[in-house]
Amino acid sequence: MSMSSADVLQFVASGLQNGAIYALMALGFTLVFASTGIINFAQGEFFMLGGMLAAAGMAAGVPLGVSVLAAVAATTLVGCLVERLALRPARSAGGLALVIITIGCSMLIKSGARHLFGPDERALPAFTAGEPLSVGGALIEPQAVWVLVLALAAAVGLTVLYRWTKMGLAMRACSISHDAARIVGVDTARVVMLSFGLAGALGALAGAVVAPITQTAYDVGARMGLKGFAAALLGGLGDPVGAIVGGFVLGLLESGAVAVVSGTYKDAVALVVLLVVLVLRPQGILGRHLGEKL
Amino acid sequence: MSRSGARWGAALVVAALLAGAVAGCGAKEGGGSDAGSGTTQKEPYRVGVVVSLTGTYAGLGIPEKKAIELQRDAINANGGVNGHPIEVIFEDDATDPAKAAAAASKLIEQDGVLAIIGATGTAQTMAMRAEVQRAGVPQVSMAGGSVITDQLDPLVFQTPWPNRIVVPFVLKAMARKGLTKVAVISDSGGYGKDGHAIIVKEAPAAGVTIVADETFNPGDTDMSSQLTKIRAAKPDAVLMWNAGKEAALIAKGMKQLGMTQPLFGGPGNGRKEFIQGAGDGAEGFRFAAGKILVPSAYGTDTEAYKVATEFIDSYTAKYGESPDIFAGHAYDAFLIVVDALKRIEGDATPAKLRDAIEQTKGLVGVGGTFTYSPQDHNGLTESELVLYRVENGAWVLDEQ
Amino acid sequence: MNAFRVRQWFGVIVAMAMLAVPLVVTDRYVLKVLTFVGVNAIVVVGLALLFGFAGQVSLGHAAFFGVGAYASAFLTGTLGVPWLGAVALAVVLACVVGWAVAVPSLRLKGHYLAMATLGFNEIMSVVFVEARAVTGGNDGLGNIPFPSIGPLELRSPTALCVLVWAVALAVALAARNITLSRPGRAMRALHATEPGALAVGIDVAAVKVRVFALSAGLAGLAGALYAHAVGFISPSSFGLDFSILLMAAVVLGGRESLLGPLAAMTAFTLLPYSGALLPGIPRAVAETIQDWVPDLVGLTVVLTLIVRARGASLRFATRKQAEAGEDS
Repeated sequence: MSMSSADVLQFVASGLQNGAIYALMALGFTLVFASTGIINFAQGEFFMLGGMLAAAGMAAGVPLGVSVLAAVAATTLVGCLVERLALRPARSAGGLALVIITIGCSMLIKSGARHLFGPDERALPAFTAGEPLSVGGALIEPQAVWVLVLALAAAVGLTVLYRWTKMGLAMRACSISHDAARIVGVDTARVVMLSFGLAGALGALAGAVVAPITQTAYDVGARMGLKGFAAALLGGLGDPVGAIVGGFVLGLLESGAVAVVSGTYKDAVALVVLLVVLVLRPQGILGRHLGEKL
Repeated sequence: MSRSGARWGAALVVAALLAGAVAGCGAKEGGGSDAGSGTTQKEPYRVGVVVSLTGTYAGLGIPEKKAIELQRDAINANGGVNGHPIEVIFEDDATDPAKAAAAASKLIEQDGVLAIIGATGTAQTMAMRAEVQRAGVPQVSMAGGSVITDQLDPLVFQTPWPNRIVVPFVLKAMARKGLTKVAVISDSGGYGKDGHAIIVKEAPAAGVTIVADETFNPGDTDMSSQLTKIRAAKPDAVLMWNAGKEAALIAKGMKQLGMTQPLFGGPGNGRKEFIQGAGDGAEGFRFAAGKILVPSAYGTDTEAYKVATEFIDSYTAKYGESPDIFAGHAYDAFLIVVDALKRIEGDATPAKLRDAIEQTKGLVGVGGTFTYSPQDHNGLTESELVLYRVENGAWVLDEQ
Repeated sequence: MNAFRVRQWFGVIVAMAMLAVPLVVTDRYVLKVLTFVGVNAIVVVGLALLFGFAGQVSLGHAAFFGVGAYASAFLTGTLGVPWLGAVALAVVLACVVGWAVAVPSLRLKGHYLAMATLGFNEIMSVVFVEARAVTGGNDGLGNIPFPSIGPLELRSPTALCVLVWAVALAVALAARNITLSRPGRAMRALHATEPGALAVGIDVAAVKVRVFALSAGLAGLAGALYAHAVGFISPSSFGLDFSILLMAAVVLGGRESLLGPLAAMTAFTLLPYSGALLPGIPRAVAETIQDWVPDLVGLTVVLTLIVRARGASLRFATRKQAEAGEDS
């Protein structure tokens, strides 16, 4: 079987589309990690909530745009609540206990979604109708454009927030040292809650924007969480730019694995990347140092 | 505040432990099956049902449970079977084979059931085999894996059309349409693998050449890489074999990639969620399944048409949605057990029931007409299958 | 000294009583559930040693459990190896796999180790599905022989339950001895402070690898027993969900405790079967409980950790206040 350049481009397009979703998820992981030093196992459930809430909104007759925005807003709130109700009261228990609390939260969110929405998969219409665009022979769905544009917009917005706003400064301060940040007057509790809220928003945005392409169900979170984490790790945990790069690299790697080997081992790519990076280069491919938060 | 919080937490943990302790005590007490409450009627016939109400197959197991509940109520309202009301005991296997085995054990040991209907999935069905064999209780499975009746067990029967019947039917239909260069895409789950092996084996006999052979994992969310490889192989048609939500992604992905080749599939794709999920991409999709989706395929003057439409109407009236093929498989499984019970003279026992089920002959269900024999515990033939096409978001007959 | 003796005798009596349970229970289904309790007890003891004592987290124990199960099932069923030899080989294999995971993970701590072991579990799930020649793939592996030693074959549920519980008891006692001995102290030192452990001459790396391999071996042992007791295994029993449940039990059970994780895991194991175990319970209630098991487990984990953290910080705060001589 021979592949034309259009086919190769098609693989790249597929890799970029998935990569954009992984990048959003990785950003969610990285934000929480930067401000708290923990890995949030509930990140995948934020993704699930984004898609499921938007689909439920549509089913209830709410217009698509409103449904999506409401789903993102509601998940932001869920993110804040996870932090406020489950993590903050146990803050003194330290890293691993907090990580396990996020596992408990993810069980509750996933199971809750099943009670609320049932076990069947749900569909969401594309944000804009239209024929696929041809780019150099590769065909790209309009929704895939939405995925890329929204992922980039989120990345840019986050960079602006992080680099040039007071809140971003506070967040960066927290990622270096909570105590030091508190000394210079940063409300660290608020920063942590905000990072969870933003992680919720990013996850939900990813879940809602990709649902028209992939459909969604109550149990899609864990898998996407694993991919997002692998991407975050690949780019260096705690580094937003790295998270975006890591997401796209992972998406392209997976797409390449299907092209060269077989679809069966696609998931194994993310896992092998995860293990190799963890063992050989825990600071990530871009990372310079590993924040001592262990 | 936090002290009372601590107390609450402690209370919760203690409660959890108590649950364990009480369960332990219950273990000591729980001897035989609890005696049936005194009724004026004859003693009820007990049938156990193992379905997946949670986990991956919940979307299949829930309609199965509904279909059986519907039939149970209808039969009991009409005086039961030979004067015996039917008591159905449902167990959820959570799509877990180990839980399915435990559930079978529970139904046999604690409830003393005459037969077990189940499970929803192939692995769960196979996991129950040791229990069923030991107790000599007949089992009627609603799962489609060929392995269930290929590894023939005197006690185990099956209602869906297995892949070994459906796959050649679809391949021949493709060849008839002149679509001989076929690309296959199947999932790596049990049903997909089962089908894939048969596709590869049967393709030469049907005159079909496989020009691309791609796989994906259950739960995958993007098929474009696999489809790009298929597109490069320039097939006449694409055949997908799976039983999950990923089917919609394939149909949509083909449209997105500008692939105009016809897409074919199996009974696992006869779900409304597929049409909803794939949208435009589902248009023109052809798949083989029994006649329940469009009962007029039986011919409107046939017994089968009457049975199917009655089931569809009563199911729709009760649950506000039309039954899918999985509800149909459950209806048939229950029908087979009830029909066999009717033919038993004297007291029903699992052994008599097994023999009666094996003697099922010309029984008209919604999935087809069942005739079992000591060599054939599936009881369906290719003649029960039709080819459907999706048109304007609905199933229509493609050819007759 | 005397108190220790009393406790020892008490332990013996409890052990005897526990072993008597399978003999008293006649319901074959309940025996099956109790067998699951025993199997899970073996895994959770191993994980308690690893996490509760040595402080090394693992979200991959379901995979070691699976390695033991498939190895023993394949060796007996396909290759015809005698049961005892197959179980022993399965345990060794699980230990070796555990060792192979532990060595490259030595530099990982805390949640990095959690993610690495989680990734390992997911990779093994793919392997269990894809290595069809050995595992039977998604259809599972059936007809696994009952445990047998020479002409003696254990096929009754009572015998299987007694076997599993006897092994579980032996494992629990051995684990207790380990925790009270020199290696146990080394593990605890490691948990408390790694540099401190190094400073007092403990070979930290060796302790970590050994306890990980031991813990994986115990999971493999449990898996082998499970395979022969149930007679059928398939990949869905060895997924991440089970790893997480095990970890939750150890976390709930508390640090440096064997009984706590055992009690928690027993509760988790029995919870889905409450309908069958509590004779009087209405069916609807039992079904509701089964439906809400993940919620119950999740909520219990979150609440326990919060309560424990608050308790600890409260004690810490009171002590600080007392030290500072403050009064509020």
